[in-house]
Amino acid sequence: MKYIALLTNTAEDRERWETMSAEEAAAARAAEMPRWVALFEEIGPHTLDGKELDEPATAKTVRVRDGETLVTDGPFAETKEQVGGFFLLECEDLDQAIAIAAKIPVAERASVELRPVIEH
Amino acid sequence: MQYLALIYGEEGRWGALSEAEREREMGEYMALSQESVTVGGNELDSVATATTVRVRGDETLVTDGPFAELKEALGGYYVFECETIDEACALAARIPAARHGAIEVRPVHLDPEGEEPS
Repeated sequence: MKYIALLTNTAEDRERWETMSAEEAAAARAAEMPRWVALFEEIGPHTLDGKELDEPATAKTVRVRDGETLVTDGPFAETKEQVGGFFLLECEDLDQAIAIAAKIPVAERASVELRPVIEH
Repeated sequence: MQYLALIYGEEGRWGALSEAEREREMGEYMALSQESVTVGGNELDSVATATTVRVRGDETLVTDGPFAELKEALGGYYVFECETIDEACALAARIPAARHGAIEVRPVHLDPEGEEPS
């Protein structure tokens, strides 16, 4: 089964990174890096794709109404948690996908949403 | 640059379309999938199949449903490789769901393993 794992983050989390000095941010990244490296090693065989997105403020939302394209700045919805990236996982079942999701550091600060992918 | 186009639309709508309308929209999705600028994409199963995982303290909390309840649901995505976000938005406008829902276009960081992802 293929699952999309949507990694979310919150405004507090993004602000926490923005308010850090360059040294503090580098130290925070370095502190968490071993967990990401271990995660990538562990889930590597299950990971078909993965993307990190730029922050929600960089989003544009596109609608077409009556033939006219309307582009607005900002994300589609102003939700507390916003998508920050995703992994495309190949798993035996949902339980395996949940076990992987629980190891992703953002699960502790925000959430990871799992959705089966429809294979065409 | 790569851009992720997140496709939001009303889930019940597809079932209400006629066979001809479905075929036409599917054709539009397939045509977009075959463009050289389209480097990825998937259709997701319905929001009813979503599972959200949070870890608080030592506890893993698993809930049914998406991380946020929205009127329009995330139904899939494309990844476009293009020069500017305006080009990505022009491609997004060709997605049938743009006509009744909305497409969120977000720049992708190309080195996901080199940076903190949140």
